[in-house]
Amino acid sequence: MTRTIRLAARQALLEQRSFWRSAEYALFTLAFPLMILLLIGAANTGAHLPGTGIKNTTVFVPGILAFGVIVAAYVNLGSKVAVLRHDGVLKRIRTTPLPPRAYIAGLLASTVVTAITITAATGLIGWLAFGAAPRRGQVPALAGALVLGTVCFAVLGLAVSAVITSAESAGPVAYASFLPIAIISGVFDPTFSGLPDWLSRLVAAFPVKSLAEVLQNTYAVRPFSAWDLADLGAWTAAGAAFAVWRFRWHT
Amino acid sequence: MTGRAEDAAVQVAGLRMSFGSAEVLRGVDFDVRYGEVFCLLGPNGAGKTTTLEILEGFRVPSAGRVRVLGLDPAAQPVKLRERAGMVLQECGFPRQARVAELIGLWRTYYRDPRPLGELLEVVELTEVRNVQVRKLSGGQRRRLDFALALAGDPDLIFLDEPTTGFDPEARRRCWAAIENLRGLGKTILLTTHYLDEAERLADRIAILRAGRIELAGTLTEIATRAGLATRISFTTPPALLRRQVPPPDGIELACRGTASVCHTPNAAGTLRLLLAWAAEHGLGDLDGLAVTAPRLEEAYLSLTAAPGLSRDPA
Repeated sequence: MTRTIRLAARQALLEQRSFWRSAEYALFTLAFPLMILLLIGAANTGAHLPGTGIKNTTVFVPGILAFGVIVAAYVNLGSKVAVLRHDGVLKRIRTTPLPPRAYIAGLLASTVVTAITITAATGLIGWLAFGAAPRRGQVPALAGALVLGTVCFAVLGLAVSAVITSAESAGPVAYASFLPIAIISGVFDPTFSGLPDWLSRLVAAFPVKSLAEVLQNTYAVRPFSAWDLADLGAWTAAGAAFAVWRFRWHT
Repeated sequence: MTGRAEDAAVQVAGLRMSFGSAEVLRGVDFDVRYGEVFCLLGPNGAGKTTTLEILEGFRVPSAGRVRVLGLDPAAQPVKLRERAGMVLQECGFPRQARVAELIGLWRTYYRDPRPLGELLEVVELTEVRNVQVRKLSGGQRRRLDFALALAGDPDLIFLDEPTTGFDPEARRRCWAAIENLRGLGKTILLTTHYLDEAERLADRIAILRAGRIELAGTLTEIATRAGLATRISFTTPPALLRRQVPPPDGIELACRGTASVCHTPNAAGTLRLLLAWAAEHGLGDLDGLAVTAPRLEEAYLSLTAAPGLSRDPA
């Protein structure tokens, strides 16, 4: 067990070094959520949610936290694993006695580090630029929600990597499969509304909105239900089952 | 049961493999002894890679018995990977990793790894140890493949077409690296479709064609079985040209202008006769005496008279 942990840690270290060594990749992974945070945030300053005293930005910043988690866990991990498979790196791992669980754990650990970096930067800038901060006593809940969200979307990233067939399509597939959902989930626009009833019910079923709502609730008192947590848990379980079923070490 | 308890590092008997209705291997038998370089030679599509994948534990054969270091590869893949290094035909690297960093990581996968400096030296990558993998040349990448396969200090190394697609310089350096591995006492099983590569590296060769071993043995054994003889030639002595001395008895000597040539399955015996004849007639040591062993290429072509193998990557 300790050997597995040590091996996973070594693997995560190499992944992190590789990530930061590829400067554009690291920069854009980090910069994308921050750019959206600043640009759209600036357009929302001073506005309040209709019929409440809650500032738009107070809800918008945790939405971008959710976005950052999804970019780090789902997009990055999913496309990375697809590329590793396409390049034959996964196949090479299979020629060694390294336990597969140690390898996967290493990839996940590296993903958690990336997610922490992105969300810490987002949270800090959201606080400095827009004064948005978690409610008093909600920091542990915020941290827990971030962990849950990272795990959920990392597992979904592994799952989506199994259906991506080429390295070239990895990034586009990963982004295209969640950005539209993120937009109609109101992640980028706290006042987003006007969806047909059936569509808003469909969107609520996806984990993007659930994660956003859980995080938003730690910033402002929002309609929050156990449903969101159950939804994230269900997606995690489904993603894990699919990843285990479909995961391949070679193309 | 340990591998050493058996007399061969790799034992293959009656190996068959079918994919659907296509029969790729139709009863393959061969043994690889400890410490030798064994070459599975054959044209593309002969079943070389499939054989290797079975030996590496990646595929379960349709029939036959396979033992690698005394282990059943399909049933004990992790145990096998602890002791056998594998260089697959095409296998990528994490792009941003540096050479020494990657080998260092690979060393952690094994219980008793070889020292990092030694690994770099064996494959001649010491100078590029801090270079990112994506900046290496094809030949350097292949040698990094070797280093990773060697990281766990394995007893046996599988090399699947180690120099396919390389320029002559890159091939020579790969060959040098493989000879370094041999120098470490490793058993090596390599596949190739290059005759000169098999000739240069292998102690023993098995020719695999259309899912069967056609011929196996040392180069000399293969040549003998192909009916190829050693060629002995020398400058025709003027006295023989002028018929002042009789031709040697028991040797079929062909005089082509100033050169005399004979072919023999028994080089030593023929040489003895020839030199005795020369001494008897005062011809001295026979100018330009040359003994040429048969080439694998001639043996192969005379056996199969079939295309599919190439001498050079060009």
